[in-house]
Amino acid sequence: MSILKTACLVAALLSSTALPALAQTRAETLRHVTGAAINTLDPNIPGSTREAFGLSLLTYDRLLSFGKKQLDGKWVFDLDTFKPELAESYTVSPDGLKITFILRKDAKFHDGTPVTAEDVKWSLDRAVTANVLGKGQLLTGSLTSADQFKVVDAHTFEVTLPKPDKLALANLAVVYPVIFNSKLAKSKATAEDPWALAWLKENTAGSGAYIIESFKPGETTILRRNPDWNRGSTDKPAAFKRIITQTIPEAATRANLVEKGDADIAIDLQATDAADLEKKGKLKVISTPQYNAITFVSFNNQMPPFDKIEVRKAIAAALPYEDMFKAALFGRGAPLYGATWADGKAPTGATFPIPQPVKTDLVEAKKLLTAAGFPDGFSTTFSFNVGQAGTAEPMAALLKESLAKIGIKVDIQKLPDAQMSTLINEKKVPFFTEGIVAWLPSMDYFYRNFYIGPIRWNYSSLNDPQITEWAQAARFEPDMAKYAALGKELNTRHFELMPQIPLWQPSQDAVMAPSIEGYVYQFHRQIDFRDLSRK
Amino acid sequence: MSQLTITAKRAGWRFASSLPALFGVLVFTFLLMRVLPGDPAVFFASGPSAGKEEIEMIRKQMGLDKPVPEQLVRYLGDIGSGNLGRSLTTGQPVLADLKSRLPASLELTFSALLIALFTAIPLGVAAALKQGSGIDHLVRFICALGVCVPTFVSGLLLIYAFYYLLGIAPDPTGRVDIFSSQPPLVTGFLLIDFALAGDWEGWRAAASQLVLPAFTMALFVVAPLARITRAAMLASLGSDFVRTARSLGLPPRKVIVTYALRNALLPVLTIAGIVFSTMLGANVLVEKVFSWPGVASYALDALLASDYAPVQGFVLLMASIFVVVNLTVDVLYGIADPRVSVE
Repeated sequence: MSILKTACLVAALLSSTALPALAQTRAETLRHVTGAAINTLDPNIPGSTREAFGLSLLTYDRLLSFGKKQLDGKWVFDLDTFKPELAESYTVSPDGLKITFILRKDAKFHDGTPVTAEDVKWSLDRAVTANVLGKGQLLTGSLTSADQFKVVDAHTFEVTLPKPDKLALANLAVVYPVIFNSKLAKSKATAEDPWALAWLKENTAGSGAYIIESFKPGETTILRRNPDWNRGSTDKPAAFKRIITQTIPEAATRANLVEKGDADIAIDLQATDAADLEKKGKLKVISTPQYNAITFVSFNNQMPPFDKIEVRKAIAAALPYEDMFKAALFGRGAPLYGATWADGKAPTGATFPIPQPVKTDLVEAKKLLTAAGFPDGFSTTFSFNVGQAGTAEPMAALLKESLAKIGIKVDIQKLPDAQMSTLINEKKVPFFTEGIVAWLPSMDYFYRNFYIGPIRWNYSSLNDPQITEWAQAARFEPDMAKYAALGKELNTRHFELMPQIPLWQPSQDAVMAPSIEGYVYQFHRQIDFRDLSRK
Repeated sequence: MSQLTITAKRAGWRFASSLPALFGVLVFTFLLMRVLPGDPAVFFASGPSAGKEEIEMIRKQMGLDKPVPEQLVRYLGDIGSGNLGRSLTTGQPVLADLKSRLPASLELTFSALLIALFTAIPLGVAAALKQGSGIDHLVRFICALGVCVPTFVSGLLLIYAFYYLLGIAPDPTGRVDIFSSQPPLVTGFLLIDFALAGDWEGWRAAASQLVLPAFTMALFVVAPLARITRAAMLASLGSDFVRTARSLGLPPRKVIVTYALRNALLPVLTIAGIVFSTMLGANVLVEKVFSWPGVASYALDALLASDYAPVQGFVLLMASIFVVVNLTVDVLYGIADPRVSVE
């Protein structure tokens, strides 16, 4: 009995001491609902989810982050401008081979230790040497070895490059090269785990705008503001004192919660709910076409009958683009079809993707199919994964209907996500829909990462020497005019070969309470809560 | 031998004989997960820069680079030492995940079962007493409705009505309001923990979160329970001892409750046991709709990702619970009908 009494007393004490921490007004708290879950606190751990990336940019700082620009009136991240975070300033040498960072002198980690160049060096060394995700990413910016990183003094840090690389700075602004508290991390490292992967997976050693208050994977993450953080644009800490991220698996429930005002923001509602809420006009709906993402109808170019260009072009001429766009996305996105290219050449080469000159033309499709040697059509399968079913299912049905008209019999396959990824990785799916996202959406980056080599992301299994050569040349081309000329060749070649059909760039619908301001679409397709404030 | 020792012996024997079955389930699930198409390493290596190297890294981390028999032996060894592996979906040890999520599922299932029993038995009895009457048809209608409306539909409807339109129910986001604090962890059952802490406001909050999901689940299982109660009641109402009791002029209440219902309870118990085990595993839709942090939705997420360890852990857990529930039902048989314990 007395044990029970003591327990009650302790509980009462605990709850009374816990209260002041919670005694912040609802207005100072941001409640975010999402369908996905965070599975690690260190974005570098293989298997990290996108939401884990989002979290780590709140708890950690990078040297730099991306600036923002307006695209059709919506704020999006800007690949070409940088905002200093832990770096106060940086200079690039005239030959483009040396980047020198001057670090802020007032920056401190959550435990009060000052941030020094040593920490930066340790963190970047870890990103390129340990068995982490950073390795594969940073090499796209010519950052491959610890020898490239040099501590000049406590607040000066130098990066040397083998070749001037346009994406070197941008790669330092992605999620992997976040700066760890090296003293703390090293104290937790072991002989088998010199980079403290195991410890950092479950603990944070950062200097970021938010500190983790509680973390229940698959349920909730609660963040508390770091009052000393001043890396924001206004040299003030982040606006919200508390951020609650809650996993709500059911999309309809998320929409209800936001509509009722119980939750403040969601970015993964169904397109129909977002359209509905926009129409009701009670909430703020910011719908940004994901300009660094593309949804494709893709073929395995090595697999008959899709090894024939005419077959691919026939299908491109037979897709009911407009209907698919409406049925799958309710028109929420930027279409990549229906353009007119005057001379059959791409109008621009500075960017990828660009709208393609494809339209629904069944007569032309039938003609092409006959030319390919399939006057009576053929049978094939069309696959998509369960996770995409919301958009892919209506799209597949329309595709099946339309292709039947030119004699192609399509069998729709809906595969569990893991099975689909495995089959794609083994290059065993002939005809399917998938999407890609590039963190650094420059033209050459798309071609290099999604059209070359036997990797998973080369969905079309394209192996075209021309594309490979031009893309590699474009990477190190310093002259923007020449770069665009190469891009023009690449974009034209892409259309001529039709390795896969770009359909559209789906919108990210950020639905939020009308009082929320400052939303910016970010490269990792998560909310950067440091941007947000309440009116 | 006394009643108690007979029951204990019976229970012990039943438990021992279920061990080979548990082992079989273990091995079978292990092999099944490996046969399923879908490579977890590829799935989780989905970062924008994921290449062959990263896939290999994850494969090694999961021990999938070893031959299957060796993996099985290692797995059995791990289980023996109480290690169920680590989930890639949540990044946590499976044992910790299951431990924190099982009470949520159990609390929901128990509440739902209680609601279902308290509705189904009176309904079934009423239907049996007035066979062929309006009441009987009404009960039949309710049962048909309960069975044919899928749980996620009834769940979403309840949310729409009570949360969205009427605003009576709290937001359907898990076990406790996100802005209030959790009770100190004792059993993991929030209702019990809040009661232990004497926090009645919290208790009420947790109970109100529980009402909608529990009713959703109860709706679905009222039908089998009510139908079986009705059938069993009909049989026992028509039997000789009830006729005798009636002819002796015993009060109807005593005849129905003490004699007829007690005899009719055996099949209801059996079904209730089965219903309970099924509910625990099959309430995934309810858990999803109400964002309930239970084991079933956890296992489904893991299954979609081909995340072996949590699925295997979940199946093992379910098998063990099945054994325990069957055991409990066996013991309850003896209490409901002493004749059963005689082998």
